[in-house]
Amino acid sequence: MKLGLFFVLFLIGLTSLLDTINQLFLKSAINSLQVNLSANIFKILKFVWQVVLIPKVWLGGICTLISLCIWLFVLSKADLNFAFSADSMHYIFIAFASRLFLKEKVGFKRWLGTIFIVLGIVFISIS
Amino acid sequence: MLKNKLTVKILIFLIFSDILETFTQFCFKKGALNAVNLDVNNLAGLSVFFKIVFSSGFIWIGVLSVIFTFIIWSTILSKIELSVAVPIASFSYILVPLVSVFFLHEKISLLRWAGIVFILAGVIVVSKSSHERETA
Repeated sequence: MKLGLFFVLFLIGLTSLLDTINQLFLKSAINSLQVNLSANIFKILKFVWQVVLIPKVWLGGICTLISLCIWLFVLSKADLNFAFSADSMHYIFIAFASRLFLKEKVGFKRWLGTIFIVLGIVFISIS
Repeated sequence: MLKNKLTVKILIFLIFSDILETFTQFCFKKGALNAVNLDVNNLAGLSVFFKIVFSSGFIWIGVLSVIFTFIIWSTILSKIELSVAVPIASFSYILVPLVSVFFLHEKISLLRWAGIVFILAGVIVVSKSSHERETA
C-alpha cells in the first residue's frame, strides 16, 4: 500500500507534535520542582523519583508511546530518507513551544542554530 | 544566574544520553529481529510476537537503557532550557557518520559532510545562545 505524500507528512507532523508535547510536560514538571541538583547520585535518584510521581510526566509518556506506534507505521510505509528529513521539523516545534509555553527566550542566535541543525539533518538524510 | 548555563559537564551528559539512546535503538532492533519470521496478523499472533521478543535479553537491556536515559535527560533538563537541550541533542545525527569515518574508514559523500558541518555549526550557535542569555 502506498500512502499519499500529504498523509505521510501529516503523520510525521503528528509524531513530532506528540514528542514535543512529551518534552514540554517533562520540562514544565521539572521546572515546577525548582531543584538545584548537585553531583550526588542519591539526590539525583530522589529527584527523578519526584519527577516520575508527577501525573503530567505520565501523560507525556503516553504521548511518546502513541508517537512511537505512528512512527513505526510510517517507517514501514514511507521512504526512510524522506521520513527522517521530515522528522527534523520536531526542532522547530520545540523552539516555538519553549517560547510559547515555557517562556524561554528564543533569540536570533538560537533560531539560527536550530535552522542550521534542521538543514543539516535534511542533508544527511537525503545523502 | 547559574541555572541556565551550559557547562562542559552538561555537554558530556548530553552526548552520553545520545549514545545511550542509540544503544537502546540497537537493543530493541536486535530483540525484534528474533521474531522477524513471524507473521503478525491477529491478536494471537501479536501475543506470540511479544512472548518471543520479551524472552530476548536484548529487550531487557534496552529497557534498562531507557530508564538510564530518562534519569540523565531529566537531570539535564533541570539545568538548562528545553530549547537549548533538544537542539544540542541532535549531536547523535553526526555521531554515527563520524564514528564510521574514524573507526570504519567509510567514505562519506559531500552532501553528508555538508550536513555534518551544518549540524555542528547549529549546535555551536545554540550553545552560544545559552551563554548570551546568562549574561543578559
